[in-house]
Amino acid sequence: MEQDAQLVQQCLQGDGSAWEELVRRHTRRIFNICYRFTGNRTEAEDLSQEVFLRVYRTLASYRSAHGGFATWMTSVTRNLLIDHYRRTRRDRLTDSLDDAMPVVENKQSSARRPDELALLGELSSQIQAGLTKLSPELREAVILRDLQQLEYGEIQQVLSVPEGTVKSRINRGRIELARILQQMGVRPS
Amino acid sequence: MSGEQTMNWTCEQTEVRLGDYLDGLLQPSERAALDAHLAQHCERCAPLVDSVAQLVGNLHSMEELETPPRLVYAILDKTLGPRDTVVAAPGFFGWLRGIGMPRFAYGALSLSATFLMIASASGFSWRHPKLADLQPATIARNADRQAHLAFARSAKFVSDLRVVYEIQTRLRQDNNELPTSNEETVPATAPNPAPGRTDGSKPGSPNQQNRATTIDRNIQLLATTIASRAYLGGAPLFAGWGSGRKNP
Repeated sequence: MEQDAQLVQQCLQGDGSAWEELVRRHTRRIFNICYRFTGNRTEAEDLSQEVFLRVYRTLASYRSAHGGFATWMTSVTRNLLIDHYRRTRRDRLTDSLDDAMPVVENKQSSARRPDELALLGELSSQIQAGLTKLSPELREAVILRDLQQLEYGEIQQVLSVPEGTVKSRINRGRIELARILQQMGVRPS
Repeated sequence: MSGEQTMNWTCEQTEVRLGDYLDGLLQPSERAALDAHLAQHCERCAPLVDSVAQLVGNLHSMEELETPPRLVYAILDKTLGPRDTVVAAPGFFGWLRGIGMPRFAYGALSLSATFLMIASASGFSWRHPKLADLQPATIARNADRQAHLAFARSAKFVSDLRVVYEIQTRLRQDNNELPTSNEETVPATAPNPAPGRTDGSKPGSPNQQNRATTIDRNIQLLATTIASRAYLGGAPLFAGWGSGRKNP
């Protein structure tokens, strides 16, 4: 945490290598959040670039007193993901009609790249597919808690909602995801 | 068991507090009540708790994806600008753009001419070039020798011109002392010397006149030859003069 704050200070003084170090330290985490939220590798890469671009431009607004750099960066990521979700809502409405048909669902699954399937594994792939069916509020809560394993306080900072709301979203998200997987015929191991 | 209520713990409570239960945030009394409720084999709550608990376990065991190989560089390009390696090729060949400019052409021409002059002055042989001739010590030695040779030739040329001038001056003086025309020197009737000559002067003979003219012509020819040879850096000027040999 302190090292991140120090790197941020060096960045603000024009040190390019400090920024490069920050990018290397956080790229994997940000990419994973984006991928879990969108379920699409290409979109996740584009969104990760946008996240870092936004962080780079607003780096001077970061205050270490308000929390860790990673939490602040996760908050920026979350806001950008929600913006992206709203921008692409029309496309998803079309997709949701297709999702109602099981044949199309199978087609969507088979349309995944082989390297993704090999990478994620069958169960992980199914869980990922279930995640994308959750509402964005529940999805982000589950991702932050169970995949990124953030503490409730950190999630509260990222989402800017009360702790009770955080707990409620996490709980409802888990239950909803379990039901979705059950409907998909997925048997958790 | 209907599952609606077991030991003061309802199925709605299970659904609402399931997150806290799985995360270990329930009070001991609440946890005991929920455990007791599940121990009653509640048909509604038991499968729910099992499935969600397994799901959370699966989520926690999901590994993070590796970072795409080019993502970090793409981010750095987008934020810091293109890297050096991207512009390395144009940057390396960028200086070639100046070759087409007239200023560069004039500069290159001047440099070439200077180099040729220095090489010629240092005695570099273009027909039989040797690597040793390009050594700085050799160039300096040859340039020094060429400079001394040029100075010696110039000094000798000036000296020869002075000698020629003195000879010409002396010959003119001699010519002034000789009769200038045959009409004045040769009597009208050669077999008969002019009778009644009273000035006592001794008229010049034709042989004397011809000899002076020949010497004068030879001197002028010699001066011209000396001048041309000295200018062209030829052999010694008076090497064969006086011994009857012609200059090569």
